[in-house]
Amino acid sequence: MTTRRQILAGATALGASGLPATLRAQTATPRRGGTLRMSVDQAVAKLNPLLTRVNPEYLVAELLYSGLTRLSTDMTPEPDLAERWSASDDLVTWTFTLRPDVAFHDGSACTSADVVASFEAMLDPATASPARNNIGPIAKVEARDPRTVVFTLRAPYADLPVMLAYTNARIVPAALSKAPGLARLDREAVGTGPFRLVSYEPERQVVVERNPRYYDPQRPHLDRVEIVVYPDPTAESSALISGSTDVMMLALPTEFARLQRASGVNALRTPSGQFCNVNLGCDTAPFNDVRVRQALALTVDRAAMVDFVAEGFGTQGNDTPLNSAYTYYRELPMRRPDINAAKRLLAEAGHANGIRATLIASDRPAVRTQLAVALKEMARPAGFEIEVRTMPHATYLEQVWRKGSFYIGFYNMQPTADGIFSLLYTSNAAWNETRWNNAEFDRLIEAARSTADTARRRELYGQAQQLMHRDVPSIIPVFFDLLAATRSYVQNYKLHPRGAVFRLDHVWLGEGAPRRG
Amino acid sequence: MSGRYLLRRTGLILYTLLVVSVLVFGITQVLPADAATMLLGENATPEQLAAIRERLGLNDPIWTQYLRWLGGVVTGDFGTSMRTGLPVLPQIAEALSRSLLLAALSIGLMLVLALPLGILAAVRRGRPVDLLVSLASYVGISLPEFVTATLAILVFADWLGWLPPTGYVPLTEDPARSLLHLILPVATISLILVAHVSRMVRSELVDALHTDYVRAARLKGLPERVVLRRHALRNALLPTITIVALDVGYVLGGIIVVEEIFAIPGIGRTLIVAVQNRDLPMIQAGALVMAATYCIANFLADLAYAALDRRIQYG
Amino acid sequence: MAELLRRLLRSPQGAIGLALVLLVLVLALAGPALAPHDPEALSPLRRYRPPSADYLLGTDQLGRDILSRLLAGARATVLLALLATALGTLAGAVIGTASAFLGGKVDEAVMRTVDAVMAVPSLLLSLLIVSVLGRGAENAVLAIAIAFTPGMARITRSVALAVRQQDYVNAAIARGEGAGYIVLREMLPNVIAPIVVEMSIRVAFAVMLFATLSFLGLGAQPPASEWGLMVSEARRFMHLSPWMILWPAAAIALVAVGFNLLGDGLRDALNPRT
Repeated sequence: MTTRRQILAGATALGASGLPATLRAQTATPRRGGTLRMSVDQAVAKLNPLLTRVNPEYLVAELLYSGLTRLSTDMTPEPDLAERWSASDDLVTWTFTLRPDVAFHDGSACTSADVVASFEAMLDPATASPARNNIGPIAKVEARDPRTVVFTLRAPYADLPVMLAYTNARIVPAALSKAPGLARLDREAVGTGPFRLVSYEPERQVVVERNPRYYDPQRPHLDRVEIVVYPDPTAESSALISGSTDVMMLALPTEFARLQRASGVNALRTPSGQFCNVNLGCDTAPFNDVRVRQALALTVDRAAMVDFVAEGFGTQGNDTPLNSAYTYYRELPMRRPDINAAKRLLAEAGHANGIRATLIASDRPAVRTQLAVALKEMARPAGFEIEVRTMPHATYLEQVWRKGSFYIGFYNMQPTADGIFSLLYTSNAAWNETRWNNAEFDRLIEAARSTADTARRRELYGQAQQLMHRDVPSIIPVFFDLLAATRSYVQNYKLHPRGAVFRLDHVWLGEGAPRRG
Repeated sequence: MSGRYLLRRTGLILYTLLVVSVLVFGITQVLPADAATMLLGENATPEQLAAIRERLGLNDPIWTQYLRWLGGVVTGDFGTSMRTGLPVLPQIAEALSRSLLLAALSIGLMLVLALPLGILAAVRRGRPVDLLVSLASYVGISLPEFVTATLAILVFADWLGWLPPTGYVPLTEDPARSLLHLILPVATISLILVAHVSRMVRSELVDALHTDYVRAARLKGLPERVVLRRHALRNALLPTITIVALDVGYVLGGIIVVEEIFAIPGIGRTLIVAVQNRDLPMIQAGALVMAATYCIANFLADLAYAALDRRIQYG
Repeated sequence: MAELLRRLLRSPQGAIGLALVLLVLVLALAGPALAPHDPEALSPLRRYRPPSADYLLGTDQLGRDILSRLLAGARATVLLALLATALGTLAGAVIGTASAFLGGKVDEAVMRTVDAVMAVPSLLLSLLIVSVLGRGAENAVLAIAIAFTPGMARITRSVALAVRQQDYVNAAIARGEGAGYIVLREMLPNVIAPIVVEMSIRVAFAVMLFATLSFLGLGAQPPASEWGLMVSEARRFMHLSPWMILWPAAAIALVAVGFNLLGDGLRDALNPRT
C-alpha cells in the first residue's frame, strides 16, 4: 500500500520550482535573455496542440502550451500543470491537483474546467486528435473543484501519468476546445506554456517570446525562440556549421560525422527506441507460417544493418520493439545470421525452391528504402527473391499501411512498453499491422497494464518479449540513436530519447552567442 | 493595340485559367489518397477520417466541390488550406511575392549576361571567345539545378564561408541579409538560363548574319556595327523573345527545386507541399497563380514580338 | 547522308559530339556486359571507398561498385531520355509546323490550346502526371514527352512562321503547290535545323528532368541505377564521399555535352547557307 503510494503519487518532493533533480544539479548559473534560432526539418503545419503530428509541431506546442504532466528523460512522469496526483488502489480512479494561479496567454485563469474541456475535446472523435488512442482507457474526466481533476478509467491502468504527458495532451481554454472556436487555434495560440506566439508561417518560421505569466518565474531563460524550417537536411547541417542557426532538432546519420568534425559545434547523440522494421502479415501466405518468418529473420545481418541503415549510429534490434532505452527491456540472445538454418526452415515450410515477394517501402524517411534494398540482398542466398517497390508516403498510407503483408515500418519511441505493444502488436492494437493476434501475448500485456508492482511487470513484459522474439511478427533489425547538434555556446539543451520532448525553457545562451533578431 | 484586342486577350487568359482549374481539379481527384489521409497520417482511424472528410467537405460530389470552389474564387475567396486551416489567399500572395523576386532577379541577371555573351560568340564565331562561351554554356546546361545548388552550397557556404547556405529573409526585414541569401539561388537559376538563352541568341544571330538582307546591307556599305544593330539583331531577337517567355514558365516550375533546397517558401515549394498533402485549395490557387503569371509574361512577349516584327517589315 | 556525315565531321563540335554520343550509345547497349562487378552486390566492409584499382570509381553507401552501377544504368538513363525527347519533339514539331502553315483560325485555336497546357509549368505538369500514373520510368518518359510537346510546338511555330515569310515559300505558294507539299518539302526542311538544335538541348534536359523527378522522389526508384537517381541518392552522402555524387553528375554532364555538341555540329552541317 505504502509502496504503491510512493510509486504513483506525484513528485511534489521536487520543490516549488518544479525542477527535476537532474536539471537542478546544473552547476553554472543560467544567463537570462537572448534569441535562440533552432532549425527543424519539416513545416509546422499544425499549430493546434490537439492536432499536432510531427516533431516540429510538438516542439512548438511544447513552447506554447502545457500538459498535466511531462516526461522526464528516464521516461518517468514529472509535474507540469498538475503539481501532484494519486490513484485509487484499483488503479481506476486518478486524482490530479493543479498548480494555483495559472493563467493563459490572454490573462484568463486556467482551471480544472479548462482541463476537463481539453480532455473531452481530445476524446471526441470529431476533433480527430491523435491523443484519443494514446492517453489510456479514459472513461470520464470531471472537475471536483477549480484545482482538482478526477479521471475515471474503463480498466485499471498503471501508466496514466506517463501517458498524460503525451504530445497531444495539452490544455487549451475551454472556450476554444470545441468547434467553431477550435479553428481559431489553427492560427493563434492561447496556452499556458513558457513562451507565447509572435508570428506563425507554417513553411518558414515560427517566432515565440517569453511568456511573462508563466507559472515558474525562473524560466524560461531565453527572451525569444525562432523555429526555422529547413526542408533539406544537408543544407540544415550547413546552416548550423556556418552559425546561421544555434540548434538543429534532428541530424541525419549521414550528416553526423561532419557535425562532429565542425568547430564550435556540439554533436549530440542518445540511444533511443526509434526503429525501422519489416512487417510480415501473419494471416497471409507465405508469412502465415512462422517458419518462413523465422527463416527471413535468420538472413538478416544486424551488425551490417546498423551500418547500412544508421551509418553505425544505432544498435542492433532483436525482433522486439523494446531496447535498452525502455525500462522493461529484457536482453535476449541476439539472433545471428544463419543462411543454412534459414534454408532448412524454408524447406520444412514447403518452400525448398525459394519464395518471391514484393517488399514495399515508403519514400519517407529515406532509411526505409535503404533497409529494403539491404534486406533484398541479404535474403537472396537463402532463397528469397525480393523485389523492392518504393512509393510516395501518401500512396503508402492509403494503399499499403496496415493493409499490406510485407512492408517497411518506421516508429518513434513510445514512453512506455505498453505504449508500443498496444499500439502495434496486440490483437486490439490501434495499428495492428502484422495481424499476429496472439492470445497469450495479449494476456501478458493486459496483465502488465493493470499491475502496479514493478518486479511483476518486468516479468510479464519479459515473457511478452520472449514470445515475440520467437514468433517474429515483424523483423526489427535496427534501432536508431537520436542525433542532433548545437552551437557550443548553447547551454543545457538535452536530447530526449523519446524524440518529442525538447525543454527549451531550460536552455540558455553562454559566452560567444551571437546577437540575433 | 486596339481595345478590342486587349479585351479578347483578357478573355483568352480567363479561358485558359478556367481550363487549367478544371484540369488541375480533375488531376487532384485521381491522385491516390486525400487530404484527410495526409492530415491524420498514421493516426487515422475510420471514424476520425470520416470526421475530417466531413469537416473539409470531401464527402460532397466532385462537381459540388468544384462549383463551391469556383464560386468562392469569383467572389475573391480562395478558401482555407486543408492542411493548416489558414486562409489560402494571403499565403499564396506572400509566396508569390517571394518567387517573383527570385524569378525577376534571375531573369534580369540572365538578360544582362546572356545577350552580350550570345552576341559576342556569334560575332566572333569560331574564335577562342566563341569556344569559351560555348564551353561554359555546355557545362551550364548540363548540370541539373539540384547538383549546381548543392555544389554551390558546398563551395561558397561550407568551404569558403562567404554566403549563408540556405534560408530566406524577407526584403522588408533586413534588405542586406535578404539579398545575401538570394545570391546562390539566383545564381543557380540563372546559370541554366544564361546557357540556354546565350546559345539561342548566338544561333539566331549567326543565322541572321547570313540572310540576304544583311548581305544586302553590307553590300550597301553600311558599317558592320550598324548592320548588326539595325538588321541582324532585331531579326535574331524575335525567336529569343519567345524563348525568354517560355523560360518564364520554366523558371516558375524550375524554382521548385531551388526553393526546396534553399528553403525559400515561395510558390513552387508551396505547390510541392500542397501536392504531397493533397491540399486541394492550395494546389488550385498555386496552379492558377502560376498559369496567370505565365499568361501575362506570354502576352507581353507577344506584344514585344508584334512591335519588333512591324519594325523589321516596315522599318 | 554521307555528305552530311562528312560535313558533320569537319567541324570540331560535330566530331567530338558524335564521338561522345556514339560512346554513350555503346555503353548503353553493352554496359551491363562490361561491368566489372555485380552492380547490386553490397558489402558492409567496403562502403564509401575512394577510387582504387579494384573499384575504379569507388563504392557507394552500400558498398556497391559505382562504375558497375553507372554502366548498368546507362541504358535506362540515355535511351529513355532519347525516347522522351523524340516523342515530345515529334508531336511538337508536327503541331507547330502545321499550325504555322494553316494560320488563321486553326493556328489561333491550336496555339490557345498549347498555351493553356503550357501555362502549367512543365515540371509541375510532369509531377502531377507522374503522381497520377504512378512512379516508374515509363510514366516518367510519358510525362516528360507531354511536358515537352507544347514548348516544341511553340518554337517550331515561331521558326516556321519566319520560314513561311521567306521567298522560296512564297514562290512555292505562287507556283500553286499543295499545302502538303509546301509543309513537307519547303517548310519542314528549313525548320529542322533550329529544331535539331533545340532537340539536342532537350535530350540533356530530359536526362536532367529525370534526375529532378528522382530528386523529388518521383522518377526511377531504388535500387535502380538510373544516373539521376544515383545523383539524388548520393546527395545525402555527399559529405561522407564526394565521389558518389561526382561520377553520376559527370556522366550526366558528359551525355548532355555530347548531345549539345552533336546538335551544334548537325546544325552547321544541315544549314546549306553556311
